[in-house]
Amino acid sequence: MKSKQIKIALRNCGHIDPEDLSDYIARDGYKALSTTLSGSRETVVQTIIKSGLRGRGGGGFPTGKKWELAAAVKGDKKYVICNADEGDPGAFMDRSVLEGDPHSVLEAMAVCGYAIGADEGYIYIRAEYPLAIKRLKIAMAQAKEAGLLGQNILGTGFNFEIGLKYGAGAFVCGEETALIKSMEGNRGEPIMKPPYPAQKGFMGKPTNVNNVETFANIPAIINKGADWFASIGTEGSKGTKVFALAGKVKNVGLVEVPMGTTLRELIFDIGGGIVGGKKFKAAQTGGPSGGCLTEKHLDTPIDYESLKAAGSMMGSGGLIVMDEDNCMPAVAQFYLDFTVEESCGKCVPCREGNKVLYQILNKITHGNGTLEDLKKLKDLSEIIKSTSLCGLGQTAPNPVLSTLNNFYDEYYEHVVEKKCRAKVCRALIKYIIIPDKCVGCGACKRACPAEAISGEIKQKHLIDQDKCIKCGACYQKCKFNAIIIE
Amino acid sequence: MKQLKNFGEFESLRQELKVKEAENEKKVRIYIAMATCSIASGSAKVLEYFKEEMPKQPVEFVIKPTGCLGLCHSEPTVEVVLPGSGPVVFGKVDTKRAKLIIDEYIKNGKLIDGVIEEN
Repeated sequence: MKSKQIKIALRNCGHIDPEDLSDYIARDGYKALSTTLSGSRETVVQTIIKSGLRGRGGGGFPTGKKWELAAAVKGDKKYVICNADEGDPGAFMDRSVLEGDPHSVLEAMAVCGYAIGADEGYIYIRAEYPLAIKRLKIAMAQAKEAGLLGQNILGTGFNFEIGLKYGAGAFVCGEETALIKSMEGNRGEPIMKPPYPAQKGFMGKPTNVNNVETFANIPAIINKGADWFASIGTEGSKGTKVFALAGKVKNVGLVEVPMGTTLRELIFDIGGGIVGGKKFKAAQTGGPSGGCLTEKHLDTPIDYESLKAAGSMMGSGGLIVMDEDNCMPAVAQFYLDFTVEESCGKCVPCREGNKVLYQILNKITHGNGTLEDLKKLKDLSEIIKSTSLCGLGQTAPNPVLSTLNNFYDEYYEHVVEKKCRAKVCRALIKYIIIPDKCVGCGACKRACPAEAISGEIKQKHLIDQDKCIKCGACYQKCKFNAIIIE
Repeated sequence: MKQLKNFGEFESLRQELKVKEAENEKKVRIYIAMATCSIASGSAKVLEYFKEEMPKQPVEFVIKPTGCLGLCHSEPTVEVVLPGSGPVVFGKVDTKRAKLIIDEYIKNGKLIDGVIEEN
């Protein structure tokens, strides 16, 4: 199942003891730092630019360009920050890297520090990742003891210290300006850009922020060369991407594939297809900020641009697979529920607009929606996207828009025919006992918490639709397939 | 580890560790996934078991706790590399299967069910 995978960011995960520096060094660890320190700053920046590496946290900004900007700013003090505030539902790429190969991130941060002229770095990590934190602490102590971090690294006079800052798990803190605010001890709220962090970041100083997976690629690029890295992937998206396959796919897990791999290869070849042989319906990329890809996108090569063109985005790499049993308006509602909860509340379109979007979706999934609501959903989504301050608000309506575009017929059925074809929306389904199949065992009657089922033992049973709360307990208990959902 | 004072010291340590790594290739190597996901599905007990049982076997070996291979669907996973063979990854390993891995594969080179395809 690994034939189509190429492991760069995950190259050491599963092959070294993350708590042993010797293991890392034996697999070319800190060689990139040693190479970097023996050359000029410009060389490093140019290598990263040439490699074509782009930000793996979701935005896809060219990493080398970001370094170049931070390097060009004059300043006595600069910072390097590693964004390990992984918050998408169903995404765990960064956790895996930090738990399996913490030194690769530390090494890359030191390389970045040398390139932009910084002597201090911080890893902003979720406090919910205790094992990753533990292994990072061990790695930091070992690297310092060996003289690979800290003062006068390898006798070159270059100093680089790394510290940890813990996040409380707020989704918005993955946005770089909010992350910096949170690190400074303020509320995790984004601010207007420009000024960009490269000009005025942490403590008002020039700061370079990169994601964990982005950093994990750096040592490999320096060791094997920019041309090698640029030879993998597509025209505009070089290298590989780690995806967290989740949902209705057989082989749930982490995979790393070259950019340009198709969704079909990811889900059916590597992922082993859909659980229980059900029919594929959609795949959500980019988490709550992204959109869904459908059957017609199965053969599209995945890269930053093609995903954008398909109405989704790369995101950090969460890939949630859905089958015929998933109701798309309900999926959109699930993601909106998440963003409403995680909105920091600073700007009105995001704080109020998303709440209204959620309420309309709630109306639709409860059978009270109208055709006018569908139009309202679309219009409001466009307004939120164009007027929100930060990435969270600007992308929050994406799941609504993309499900509306790709599955309009399902929305139409919900509001006009009052039907949910996936049989998910409780208000739109009915549990019915088929008299011919009912043997009168009474199992359903005993399971019903609402006392909605009547009938004597060995007699046909009946569900009182007015009393039924549609919990499905009877459906699960019936051994004779006598209960159906309509 | 002692403080490395210059590029030369780093390079010689690197070479020394590479030689050591190459020597390990003559031994049975057992990599046990110990990421959050693996531990949650019981890998700590499996690691404990190998650490206890392997010294009783008539083979030279190395046991390494590692991060995960990303095979969430089959955790806990154990990768075994016999000298001169390619890596074999076993999925859903508990102490019962760990015993089978030692008795069948490590001692006799016979594969057991539940090997995860790697090609």
